[in-house]
Amino acid sequence: MKKASLLAAVLCAACLLPSARAQDPAKALGGLLRQLTPPNLLNQPAPARTPAANDLIQMLADSVDTIDEPREIEVGRQLASVLLGSKPLDRDAALQRYVNRLGRWIALQSPRPQLPWTFGVLDDPGFNAFAAPGGYVFVTRGLVDRVDEAELAGILAHEISHVTGRHHLKALAAKARSGLAAQLLASQIRTNNAVTGAISQQMLALGRDLYASGLDQSDEYESDARGVYLAARAGFDPYGLPAVLQQLRAAAPDNPLFTLTLSTHPPAQNRLEQLEAAMGSRLDAYSGKPPVAIARRLQQQR
Amino acid sequence: MIRTALRAVALALPVLLALPAWAQEEALTRRPTELRDAPGDKGRSVAILPAQAAVTRTNERQGPWVQVRTAGGATGWVHLFDIGPAAAAAPAQDGGGVIGGALRGVTSLFGGSGSSPRRTQAATTAGIRGLDAEDLANAQPDAAAVRHMEGLRASENDARAFASRAPWKPVAIADTPASSRVAPASANGAPRAEQAP
Repeated sequence: MKKASLLAAVLCAACLLPSARAQDPAKALGGLLRQLTPPNLLNQPAPARTPAANDLIQMLADSVDTIDEPREIEVGRQLASVLLGSKPLDRDAALQRYVNRLGRWIALQSPRPQLPWTFGVLDDPGFNAFAAPGGYVFVTRGLVDRVDEAELAGILAHEISHVTGRHHLKALAAKARSGLAAQLLASQIRTNNAVTGAISQQMLALGRDLYASGLDQSDEYESDARGVYLAARAGFDPYGLPAVLQQLRAAAPDNPLFTLTLSTHPPAQNRLEQLEAAMGSRLDAYSGKPPVAIARRLQQQR
Repeated sequence: MIRTALRAVALALPVLLALPAWAQEEALTRRPTELRDAPGDKGRSVAILPAQAAVTRTNERQGPWVQVRTAGGATGWVHLFDIGPAAAAAPAQDGGGVIGGALRGVTSLFGGSGSSPRRTQAATTAGIRGLDAEDLANAQPDAAAVRHMEGLRASENDARAFASRAPWKPVAIADTPASSRVAPASANGAPRAEQAP
């Protein structure tokens, strides 16, 4: 009897199930489905593959270190689409061109010079910078208006170091393995799939959460340290980034222009003390160039 | 008459073009140090500052040297690593910890009425508010904007050409950060290097 043999098969499959790993429900579910629906038993074709977008999350959860570059770039492109959904690009074409030239020049001195580095200034009065895997780096207009060239170089070098260190990929993988995506999907604003298109609900949820909560503080300290060395290698005053940190240290914690950057990073004084440990006075010899105002550089660019 | 109008415009223009400036900072020395008459190790000592001395940091900087004014009114230069904040900073939300940070992100979405994310920051008097967690929570992915951004990339040749004109000259630095870790080849349980104290 078909029913009895099906029941027997289900019971046998249940015995064969690997013990559930609480931190990987997606994988356990996938394993369960594969056990229960062998094609020859149900006389049906194999189940359809999961959509490509969801594969990215699963790949990150399984093995963040072996994700290949095209997929890394696709993850970054999807996260970039979330950031650009929060604020548009600034319309100042000359400024965008300058930040791309400056950023690309610094990235050429980094361990991954040939990534398709893509830089953008967001039309936002706040003081913020973001990066996404594959080489997408953002700064806000409010940040650009408050810094000189060496300070901007230091900030871009910090963000570039997040990319070369794969920090966002590691953070997404950890969130995916923790089952966070399922919790977030229940609480976040849902989006019509026709609108999101190529980005999965999971990636959207994890991306929003990632930029609102920030990276591990150890990754921030590492990007500060690597960033000042990278800026120096690109020919800029290595004290540009420390100069920004001492300004952030003085910013009022309830100033809405700085709220997000202050809440997603370790306290500025802690970052300065970590940098002192990383640098000592070894980079002092590379400082001392006269400061360059960004407005002046834009005039030269014309 | 035209000259009067032009003069008025000339006076107004710097104000209109003025970019936001940072405020001066009330700071304390973190260790005994010297107030120097010029930035750099070769600046001569003007005064000895004990640890915890109150100074006002102006916004003048040359490399790692920042200008400060003492309580007694003397002005000079100290290394920026030698000063710290005056007041104990209000405990900033630490971005560290993936799960803790993630849960904080979830919790904030349930705040307030629970139906929509609560606005968690006051606006400035001018009503200016920067990108915040609420903007991220409401963000709808914009693939077209990404394609536009990709179209604005600088090629390697363009970046190198601009660098040579600036000029930005690369510097060979064999040194590495004291607390650096090897780029993770396999992240499983590899212990992170201890930070130097």
